[in-house]
Parts: sequence; structure tokens; C-alpha cells
Amino acid sequence: MAKSTMKELEKVKHFIYSCRKCGVCRYKMTGKLPYVCPVKQASPGFESFSSRGKIILAQALLEGQIEPSAGLASAAYSCTMCGNCMTQCGATDPDTNSPLVDNPAIVEALRADLLREHPEYVPEAYHRALAATRQFGNPWGMPRSARGKWAKGLKIKDAQKEQADVLLFAGCTMSLNPELTPRIKKAVAVLQAAGADLGILGAAEPCCGSVQQRIGARELAAEMIANNVKLLNSLGCKTIVTLCAGCCNMFRKEYAPAEEKLAPKVYHLVEYLARLIKENKLTFTREQNITLAYHDPCHLGRHLEVFDPPRAILKALPGITLVERIATRENTICCGAGGGMRLFDGGIFAQDMGLEAVKAARDVGAQALVSACPFCETNLSAASQIGDSPLPVYDIIDLVSDALGIESK
Amino acid sequence: MTQNHSKDLLKALCDIVGASYITDDPVTRFTYTQDASLFGGTQSALVVRPGSTEEVSRIAALANRHRVPIVTRGGGATIYGSPRGDAERTVLLDMTRMDQVIEVNTAGMTVTAQAGIIINKLVLACREKGVYMWAPFAPLHMVSLGGWISGAAGAAGLWTDIVSITVVLADGTIVQTGGGPGTNIHQPVFFNRNLGGPDFAGIFIGDGGSFGIKTQATIRTTRQPSLVRAGIFAFDELEPALEMVRLHVERRTVQRYDPVLVFGAGAMKNFVGDTDAVAPFTVQAMMQGHDAAELDAKLAIIHSIAEQCGARRDPMLDAMAEAMGTPTGEDSEMDWMAIFNSFGIAAWLPFTLPRQSFPPVYKKLISWRNERLKEAEKLGLRLRTTWEFFTSSDPSTITGEIDAFFADVENPQATAFARTLMADFQKYAHSLGSIDVYNQGFMADLNASCWSPGFKRLFDAVKTVLDPNGIINPGLWAGSYLREGGE
Repeated sequence: MAKSTMKELEKVKHFIYSCRKCGVCRYKMTGKLPYVCPVKQASPGFESFSSRGKIILAQALLEGQIEPSAGLASAAYSCTMCGNCMTQCGATDPDTNSPLVDNPAIVEALRADLLREHPEYVPEAYHRALAATRQFGNPWGMPRSARGKWAKGLKIKDAQKEQADVLLFAGCTMSLNPELTPRIKKAVAVLQAAGADLGILGAAEPCCGSVQQRIGARELAAEMIANNVKLLNSLGCKTIVTLCAGCCNMFRKEYAPAEEKLAPKVYHLVEYLARLIKENKLTFTREQNITLAYHDPCHLGRHLEVFDPPRAILKALPGITLVERIATRENTICCGAGGGMRLFDGGIFAQDMGLEAVKAARDVGAQALVSACPFCETNLSAASQIGDSPLPVYDIIDLVSDALGIESK
Repeated sequence: MTQNHSKDLLKALCDIVGASYITDDPVTRFTYTQDASLFGGTQSALVVRPGSTEEVSRIAALANRHRVPIVTRGGGATIYGSPRGDAERTVLLDMTRMDQVIEVNTAGMTVTAQAGIIINKLVLACREKGVYMWAPFAPLHMVSLGGWISGAAGAAGLWTDIVSITVVLADGTIVQTGGGPGTNIHQPVFFNRNLGGPDFAGIFIGDGGSFGIKTQATIRTTRQPSLVRAGIFAFDELEPALEMVRLHVERRTVQRYDPVLVFGAGAMKNFVGDTDAVAPFTVQAMMQGHDAAELDAKLAIIHSIAEQCGARRDPMLDAMAEAMGTPTGEDSEMDWMAIFNSFGIAAWLPFTLPRQSFPPVYKKLISWRNERLKEAEKLGLRLRTTWEFFTSSDPSTITGEIDAFFADVENPQATAFARTLMADFQKYAHSLGSIDVYNQGFMADLNASCWSPGFKRLFDAVKTVLDPNGIINPGLWAGSYLREGGE
């Protein structure tokens, strides 16, 4: 690849050259942080699996010292893009106080350049997700019609036909996995119980573009963003509530630079619920005697700094004891599903990362894990089934709806 | 290495460490060609991540038989570069898989760990058991124990605390230095390295990793101090600030537990901004202790010494000192690397000098640096800040740095200037008698160029006996960096 074709890496050049290659992102450890990089931990641990190694490679590619290859793609795609390396680096721009090295942005740019210029090196699983997006409108290869099935029989506004104040955005992962769809119904029930004027898009709900953006398919993601903004703005809703941390992060951060701005305000369900609880719009009647650890999804926690609302919700639920894992909030170690890692190398690293996350919960006496992202929950659930005593993995909406007695109604 | 040779070696190494922990992938190998320095990392044909002393021993024996060079790497945190290596032949050992704490011995007040462990992991393991391992604070999260023992003279201050080192020699022999099982086969515990024979630990400390491959070390601990207090004092001249250091270090032999640090104006501006509190020299005394009475006594002594030296007090500095008086623990620790990395491209300019002749040399070094910074300005390179600092780790020695940081990280000229500045500074400082602590890359070469004939003969003799085929970290101390002009 000629140097001039690294368009995306050129855009993040300042981040690349701001890295001093000290290795803190590879090795930092504190009493509240057992390690920084879950990929380095789950893999054989060579330098190329660490953030420093990836930045060295990005710089070398920019300077024409190395050529694109399958090995380079492997380094680029073996990353959860969780951003813990950026948090732990801690170096900030003295003028703006913003992070000096945005490691996930570098990895994403590297992926984008490889995908555009040398797609032959990008692992096949990512191509499949992109082809599925083009064909079915979602990365998981499920027919468009399957997307609205969960809402069959529910009394809820079709946001395209009737105006609603709040659009519940279920997201691909939640709405296309039959094991997860009950959670959408619970969210509907809880929000309706709080008096929300709620609408959905059902089968017409688009993919937010997060998975495609993380894979590096920037043109496709940009196209999706433009179409989605038009659609979502046309609905006239004031608020979008997402169930998926990835969708929320995508709407808030990646849609911001788009030419046409997204008019509705976007919240993740936990933010919205926390506000409803504060406004006394939800009354919890059922006690659940359980000790839980909350897993901060990277997109919601580290990337959007939403740490307190989910904890406020859990503390408001009768009978729930919240314990914190050693690495929590901004130090949380990724569940393993971030950055498309479940598609990398058959998902073996993702599984190992999930096992570590579950173990960390067990270590602090948690009887279950709770999160607020279908990616995290899927990976953590899969990992929690390995071994003799599975650890239940909940979405926060499971607990809220139980506390409201909704399921039993 | 022919292709067949490479394949045979690869297979044999796979048998030792397992296929997952060895790679000849060019992309992975490339990531090891850089480290934290501006001087460069290591070229290699294979990268291996061994997991135990036994594996290292088998690798060394194999490499020795085939005359294959080995380069060891810890955290990759060097500031002067690594052995260059050879992309066709070198086997690079990434030692950081060997990161286990073997034992925190609270009865014997020692901690034993594998050499690839990053220092803060070791510090935390000690803290968990209520004991304290002293470690220089800035690079805690990036330097390995083995790297520290090898790459820094006196193991960067750990010297007196090192009880024993386990080393794999070039032929695969595993040796343990003295004061325990190494010098008395009937004694299972390492407790005092000087006993039972000559202190062989010393030859492996600061050897740059040339004499053998460190795989394990035992370090002495003390009881974890629970309190910290500080006193900060301003001086207009170097000499009285230095006098304060002298009066402090002459009182005690192990000064690093209660360090007295002298900061120059450039460094202080980074703490307090460009305010009246910035004096030409600021002395910061950090006292650790186990109870308030002990600390009160220590602080009273410091204040008395400061007064005797004519120190000025400043309300802002007093407030800083007060803020530092928190219980010890990581919550009170500054993230030094985040601070330094924020400054931009670092030209680290360290020196180590005899205290007795320090002031005139220090002034020469400062004025040399300032002249070079004027050159940078003429070239249009933006200086972000400077960082002047020195301290005394014993009554005879002053060690410190007068670093400069450049803002234009994307400008290759800035990087090149910083690298040349570092190399030229060391050549100048060495010509004035500085013998710096880093025994890595460029600095090892420079140090070796200043050796007396007798010292060189001794070094060569030890190297020849321990590594007759010269397979371990070849090229180190041999002038390759100097031949390249230090760049």
C-alpha cells in the first residue's frame, strides 16, 4: 500500500505520534486494575496483541516501513476497542486536556484503511457481517422481517404511523436473538408503566451502524448514518431510548459529525430509567434477594461515562445487594465482545475474556452478573455456562421488571 | 540461519515453550523493533515468550549449541535502546510471561518473583501482605524486575535490597547467587547475598543482561509505612540546596526511603504554574513512617536542616507539602508517566556525579543544555517544558536529570533533534566524569568507551567465561550505537 492511501490513519496521525511507546498500556496494574488489555491477557501476549504494538504498526504503515498483510490485519482485528488502554495511559493534551492518544480511534482507522485497500487480508467473518448488512440491513444475516417479530401482539405505537414522544430503539442484537427479545418486551412494559408515550419501528428499525463502523466499513456506516438520521428525524419523537450500549454510543458520538444532525436526544435505557426512578414514576414492590455485580459496558461506561445511573437503579431495587468487582467503572475489563472480537479467530479470545469477567464477579461474592448491553450479556452468558456452576447473567431490565412485578402480571 | 536451520530451531523451541508462545510472524517481530526509547528496539528472526526458568535454560542450551544469538527483553521500557539484534538469526526472549510472584515471605522480609514481572505488580503483592518494596516511582508500570536489575546500575537503587538472583547462563546452567541455597545446599532460604562466597549477585546487576538471563530474584522488604509527610523549601542558589541534601544524606545510609529531591525551576512550573512559588531550586523532602511521632521527629529534623541552609518557605509550597501528607498507598501516588508523556517528545538528559564536585559540573551541564535548546528554537522546534531534578541515593553520589520536552510530536526533525541531544549530552556529561546509571543500548556503548583497560579486561574475562560463544545480548557494550553516531 502506498503511503498516500492511508487516508484514515492520516486523520489520526496526531494520536499515533503522541504515543511515547512507554508500555503502560501493556503492563499497568493497580489495586483496582488487575491488567489493562483483555486481549493481551487472553492471547499468547505478544507485543502485537497490545495497544503499544498496534500503534507501532500503525506508525510503520504510515511511514511505509511495513506492508499490509494478513498478519497486520490480525493485529488490527484482535482488539476489543474497549478503550481501557486510553484510560490507563492517562496522558492528556496540555492545551485541551483531552486524551493524547485515542487508541481505539487508531485501531479503527487501521481497520478502515485495510478494509478499503486490502480487503483480502481482513478475516472472512467481518466480510460476512458487512455482506449481511448490505443484504439484510443487519450484521447478523437475519431476514429483515424477523426484526419486528418480538413486538407481535404488543400494544404499542408504530412510530412511523403514529407520533410518539419516546422511540424505543431495540437494536439488531437484541431484536434478532430470540433469547434476548423478552428483554425488549420488558423494557416496553416498564416504560409504559412509567407513563412513557412510547413508539417502536418494528421491522422498519434500521441498524445503527456501530458494528460496521468498528469493523472499519466507514463508507457503509456513513451511508447508514445519513439514512438513519433522515428516518429518525422524520418520526417527530423527542427522545430515543436504546437498549444497546453500542447503539447509544454510536448515536451520540458517531452521528454527531454527520451533515444532518440527529434531532431527538438519545439516552440509554439505564439513564432514562434512573430519571424515572428519581421522579418517582416507578414503584418497586417485589423484593429480590440477590447479590449482584454490575458489568459496565465499555460503550456506555468508558466511552460515554455513564457509570452512576445503572448503579442508582440497582440500589433502588428492593433486596438487591450491589457488589463491585475489583476493576469497575472506568477500570472495567471488557467482557470480550467489543470491537467484533466474537468474530475474531472463532471467538476463542472472546470466550476467555468472558470467563475472566465472570470469575472476577465470583471472586467478590456475586451470585449473578448484570449489565446493560446485549453484546456483553451474550458473551458473559456464554462464558458463565462453562464449568460446573453457571452464573446467571441479567440485563438490568430483567431486574427492574421483576421488581415492578411486571412478569407476574 | 538457513531456512532449514530456522525450521529445525523453530520446532525445537516449540517443543520447549509450546507453539502458542513462539512466532516468526514478521508483523509481530516488527513490534519488537521499537521500545520506549528514541534509539530503537531489536530485530529478530523469532520471538519467544518463555514461562519458566527451566524453559529459559533449555532455550539457552539449544541456542548455544546452534550458536544462535539471544536478546532478552523485559518491559521494553529502556530510554537508550536495546541490543540491535539480527532479523535473520536472533531469538528474542520476551520475558514478560514470567510475571509471577513466587513468595512474599513476611517472616524473612523478602519477596521472590519471576524476572519478567512488572515492578508495580510486585509492589502491590508486597503491599497486600503489609510489607514494602522500595522502587523508583516513575516507571513502575512499565519496567520489569529483570530489566531493572540488568539495565540500570545498582538496579536503579534496588541494589542493597537484592538478596539473590537466579540466572540462566549461556550453556543453560541455572545458577543462584549467594546467601542461601546458592552457597549452602543445606539452606533453603535466601536471606543475605554476601554469605558463603564472593558476592556474585553484583556482577549480574547492571550487566545489561550480558552475563546471563535473569529469571528470578529475591528482594528485601520492610514493613509497609503507613504515613507520609513532606516539607518543601525554596532556594535561590544551587549550593545551599545541595547543602541541605548533604546534611540529610550524611545522617543516614539508606536515603531513598526518605528522599530529599531537588527540582529546578522548569520542573516546578509543571507543578505550580508560572507563579511566585517557583524558585530556582526547590527542595522536597518526603518522609515515610509508621506513626505520627516518628514522622514528627523526621520532619522536625528536616525543618531544622532547611533553616540551617537558609531555605525560604512559601505558602503555596507549604500547602503542597500538606497535601502530600496522605497515608501511603496507590491512591496518593502520582501517575508520573502520564505527566511526562503529556509533555511530548522527551529528550531524557540524566547524569550521575560525585556529590563533592557536583555544583560546577551541574552548572556546565545546564548551560550546555540551554545552548542546545537555543539551537532547537532556531530550527523552529517548540520546547514544551524542561524538567530539572536531582537527588542523592547515598552520601557520595548525586543522580538527576535536566530533561527537555518538545511539542511537535509529528515532526521527525523534533524526534531526531531529541535523540541527538540525548546522545550528545551523554558524550559531554561523560567527558565531565558523569557515569550514568543506564546500562542499555547507546549508554552501555558509551560507558564501555570510557572504561579503563583493566576494567575492560575484567569485563571481557567474565563474559568469555560465562558466555564463551557470545550468544547472549551480543553487541551490547561493543560500540555499535557509537559507530552509528548515536542515532
